Amino acid sequence: ALLFAALAKHKLRSRSTFSAQDPRARLSRRSTGGLPRCNTETGEMSVIDILTRVDAICNKYDKYDVEKQKNLNVSGSGDDAFARGYAAVDAEIEAALEKAELASKEKSKASTVALNAELRRTKAKLLEEVPKLQRLAIKKVKGLSTEDFAARNDLVLALPDRIQAIPDGSAAAAKQPGGWGPSASHTEIKFDSDGRFDDEYFQESEQSNQFRQEHETRKRRQDQGLEMISEGLDTLKNMAHDMNEELDRQVPLADEIDSKVDKAASDLKNTNIRLKHTVTQLRSSRNFCIDIVLLIIILGIAAYLYNVLKK
Amino acid sequence: MSSDPDKLVAKADKLTKLTLTRWSADWRNATLNYEQAANAYRVAKKYEKSKDAFEKASKGQEMLSSPWDAAKHMESAAALAKELGNWNEVADLYRRASELYVECGRAQPASDALGKAARVVEDHLPDVAVQLYTDAISLLEEDDKDQMAFDLYRALTAVHIKLEKYTDAAAALLRLGLAADKSNATNSQFKAYLGAIIVYLYAHDVKAAEKCYNDCSQIPAFLGSDQGRCGSRLISAYSEGAVEEIKRLAQSSTISHLDHAIIKLGRKLPTGEVTAVKAGTEEGEGLDENDLT
Repeated sequence: ALLFAALAKHKLRSRSTFSAQDPRARLSRRSTGGLPRCNTETGEMSVIDILTRVDAICNKYDKYDVEKQKNLNVSGSGDDAFARGYAAVDAEIEAALEKAELASKEKSKASTVALNAELRRTKAKLLEEVPKLQRLAIKKVKGLSTEDFAARNDLVLALPDRIQAIPDGSAAAAKQPGGWGPSASHTEIKFDSDGRFDDEYFQESEQSNQFRQEHETRKRRQDQGLEMISEGLDTLKNMAHDMNEELDRQVPLADEIDSKVDKAASDLKNTNIRLKHTVTQLRSSRNFCIDIVLLIIILGIAAYLYNVLKK
Repeated sequence: MSSDPDKLVAKADKLTKLTLTRWSADWRNATLNYEQAANAYRVAKKYEKSKDAFEKASKGQEMLSSPWDAAKHMESAAALAKELGNWNEVADLYRRASELYVECGRAQPASDALGKAARVVEDHLPDVAVQLYTDAISLLEEDDKDQMAFDLYRALTAVHIKLEKYTDAAAALLRLGLAADKSNATNSQFKAYLGAIIVYLYAHDVKAAEKCYNDCSQIPAFLGSDQGRCGSRLISAYSEGAVEEIKRLAQSSTISHLDHAIIKLGRKLPTGEVTAVKAGTEEGEGLDENDLT
């Protein structure tokens, strides 16, 4: 069997370089029944015949193609449903990305819109597939390493992001309607709590209680202060009234004093004048001189008499 | 002249006595002597003798037809009598002095003299004091000097309150109000009215107080004044029997501006039971219901 496999490998390898070689010669050596027989009479084979033969042989020896086997393995064996599903989703994401690139390159707007719509549909479909895959990812599969298992979970989680990331032109379009928004909206009364006026809204919170209490305390203190001020003002008013009455009482007294003092002053003036007259009369210089002269005469007479009497 | 007062007095007496040699008393000299003697006695604190000397001096001045000096001497004599504690004599002397003042035509000093007299004797002879005060007030009122009478009224009220003659006190206050009204002293007037109301309430005569308040309310200014409002609140508190309210009002500043005696009364309010006057109103309602005529 080993020998036979080695021979087959050789054959397959040589098949890849299969182009100009003479297939007839080789085929005639190895071919068995079932293949189109070459025309032994003429010894010629048509191209179609050659191709058919080649295909048949390839199909027969396909199982010895290592690379192809590897590909088949990767794209999922019949047992592994997750691998199959994941492969399908992956392929569709790639196709969608290609379409998106085409759309961005498109010149005509209508075709762009159509392509974008199709992309969006594909995205929606893929997003639906993702939960299925998630469920499959959790299932343990025979012969799968733990690392692969963990990796599967991450792959599934990364899928939605990749799907959303497919540009479908909606991002750009979303900005345009924004310009019309504010002018069209109604001005309305803005509530802090978004209009939720349920019981809790009107409930006394601790803060509001405190605030009210503080307000009351301040008001009380103000009232006390105002009372003191009012008492002081009362006293002032009383004193002012009493002063008013006292002054009223003293007005006639002052008037009386005024008139009496005036009278006294005039009396005094008169008296002064009379006194001056009297003094002038009594003690005027002329009278004074006469007094002195008379006095001297009297003294003289007295001295004369004294002298006369002494003798 | 000897400074010995006794000698002076003797000499003066001799001068005034009419004898055969003297046909007319020499009042001038006598008065001089008397004055000197009196002063000397006062300095020597011989009040009795000083008083006598002053009296004689006053008589001398009277004879000299200078009532003013006479009155002055009388007053001095009375002051000395006060020192002696001779209350009746004090009163008499002061009266005499005031009469002399009136002779001078000076009402004010006359009433002053009487006022001084009253103040001196009010502790000992309150009735006499009352009389003196009344006379003093009348003197002033005759002379249209009402404003000077306020103090006398207040003193008179104080005496009445001390005698616990509350009706008299209230009457005096009302007269004060009248005098104040004449002289346009509204503040004193209202204070007098409020004082009267308080006196009535103190005497626990709520009806009289109410009547008094109503009378006083005839004057529109009184209603709107501080005192009027305080009075009305007092009356209403009494009629409701709200003891706390009465006590609070009594402490209020309006009452504190009144006369001292009245403040003391006010602080003692309420006296006796302050059962509401509702009993009286109920009777009235009973009559209305039963009386179908």
